[in-house]
Amino acid sequence: MTPEAQQMCEHIAQVIRKPSLTIDENTPLVSSGLIDSMALVDVLVKLEDITHMRIPPGKLQPKDMDTIALMLATARRVGRPRK
Amino acid sequence: MSRAGHILPELPVAQSTEYNGHTVKRFHTLIDALNAAPGEQPFVTSWVDQDDNEEVSFAEFRHRARVQAKLLRAHDVDSEDRVVILMPQGIAAMTTFVGAMMLGAVPTILAYPNFKIEPSKYRAGLAGVSANLAAKAVVIDQQFPDDLLGYVALPNTSRLLRAGDPTQPDGSGPLPDLPNRSDSLAFIQHSAGTTGLQKGVALTHAAVLTHIAHLEQALHIDAVTDRIYSWLPLYHDMGLIACFMLPLVCHVPVVIQSPLDWVMYPETMLQVISKYKCTLSWMPNFAFQFAPRRIPASRWKDYDLSFVRAFVNCSEPVRATSLREFQNAFASIGLRPNALHSSYAMAENVFAVTQSDLRSADGPPCIWADGPRFRSEHLVASVAEGTPGAIVFVSSGQLLPRHEVRIVSGTGESLPHGFVGEILVRSDCLFQGYYNRPDLTAEALVDGWYHTGDLGFQWEGELYVVGRKKDLIIVGGENLYPQDIEEIAAGHPHIHDGRVVALGVYNPELGTQDIVVVAEVEREERLCDAPEIECEIRNRVVASLGVAVRAIYLKPPKWIVKSTAGKPARSSTREKLFRDHPELAVGSEGDQFA
Repeated sequence: MTPEAQQMCEHIAQVIRKPSLTIDENTPLVSSGLIDSMALVDVLVKLEDITHMRIPPGKLQPKDMDTIALMLATARRVGRPRK
Repeated sequence: MSRAGHILPELPVAQSTEYNGHTVKRFHTLIDALNAAPGEQPFVTSWVDQDDNEEVSFAEFRHRARVQAKLLRAHDVDSEDRVVILMPQGIAAMTTFVGAMMLGAVPTILAYPNFKIEPSKYRAGLAGVSANLAAKAVVIDQQFPDDLLGYVALPNTSRLLRAGDPTQPDGSGPLPDLPNRSDSLAFIQHSAGTTGLQKGVALTHAAVLTHIAHLEQALHIDAVTDRIYSWLPLYHDMGLIACFMLPLVCHVPVVIQSPLDWVMYPETMLQVISKYKCTLSWMPNFAFQFAPRRIPASRWKDYDLSFVRAFVNCSEPVRATSLREFQNAFASIGLRPNALHSSYAMAENVFAVTQSDLRSADGPPCIWADGPRFRSEHLVASVAEGTPGAIVFVSSGQLLPRHEVRIVSGTGESLPHGFVGEILVRSDCLFQGYYNRPDLTAEALVDGWYHTGDLGFQWEGELYVVGRKKDLIIVGGENLYPQDIEEIAAGHPHIHDGRVVALGVYNPELGTQDIVVVAEVEREERLCDAPEIECEIRNRVVASLGVAVRAIYLKPPKWIVKSTAGKPARSSTREKLFRDHPELAVGSEGDQFA
């Protein structure tokens, strides 16, 4: 797992607040109901911080944020370097 | 056909007229109003960030709207055809909306799919609306992702179009004869709420223009000095009427952001207002808490809110604590003590029914009422500020001109001043009905009065809104508002703020409702302390409201069902609770408020 993915895993574990659950890069998060729409905003802000990208939220769809691997791929695809 | 026509005489295009002591311009249609705007005047600025923003003048806006009108015309869109617009918040969606109106077609803007909306819910809502409207065209933007096209459920008669390229030159030249008349339908706006998805509020040009004349007067709009700031979605009345139609008719510039950008970067609100010296903004109640909590206090000093004449809180009810939090936070960066305002608004009346007085020295008045008497006698007995057990209400303002309200009991009798009942509205700009839904119209519009389903009271010329009728909990004749119980429970340190739902569940043995509370704990581990937390919440509710809670269900985080707006959805949460705890449902079929 890349350091970025590792940081996202740690952040999402905090958001979910289920200590019993282990999350990896491919754990479905949105489709499984683990994170809800309001929490997704926090996750996206964190993703921007970790990747140093500005990710236009208007260009995202739920499937783009379903797993940490997808989130990082999305950041690479639509993100712009942040000033 | 137009109610407004009976009261305000039809006037020639752009004639100035004396109106309640003010001189206002009157137009036949919204397009006439747009055409009368000075071309060089800035109209819409769409803001994403410092490097990504665009400003269009009224002339450029008109040009782009004509391009869209021609594209729609080329696809046989005609007068009275419905046009559904599925485009992200921005200038293109706005010009497409106006372009459709230029043809006499009837546009409606629906929510654009985004990463926060659950696809299945979105698909179902869209299919229902498209079918009800029998739209001739559904317009999507150039960037609408191909893989999302499957989400757009279209009836066979509809066409899916991509909005035209606004830079193409053919915006000049004649359009077909404009069939628009004052009493033709201008557009359809959808009433808010999950069950409201099917409720298309059909509005005539006359109703919208009449309404805006009232707003212009109540808000003392000045096209030279005012500028509106908005992050509100265009598919909601606050965004569509206050922040698009009002500036279009009054020729006031507006700076818009997408709701998603605002929720992710709320600091941009301060940035935009400071940069553009915005003077007016509308927001729902939660935003008054969200902004000061989410924008780091260390950043506030970079901004200046001293130009703002009014931040209008358009929620029902308006919460005194939320206004105070916002005021306390931003007073240090120039927010005037009388800049926070309130309004009671609904799509069915175009927009506002009331507006607080912008010239008052200290914003909307508050009233402190005796708590026990309010709950048991359903009336307001005024007490001194801060009296123990008292409840504070914030006024939603005074009625707009030519608006009336009645407060009625459950049996429909008018109630005197100070009594709480359902709010009925009548005005010269009320809707004619829900599009294609005579059944829903007949329920809501009775003898010219719109039954809002909201509860409130009148006091010293002001309207106070206290909650939704269907959410009311009645325990032994005492009226309890779920928001009050939820606020108390959420005050417990181990309960997740904003993740509490209070419900009334019919108790057949007592013949009345019992209070049931479902609340999420901050962390799952806290469920071990459930007995102590429950006991504490019970004690707090009894101490504040004098009633006992029958049952408290503590749940892990994320248990409560949320609406697309992120607020707890009472009815869905109720269903989920009943599924998990079938014992609750026993006898509750007698529950008239379920």
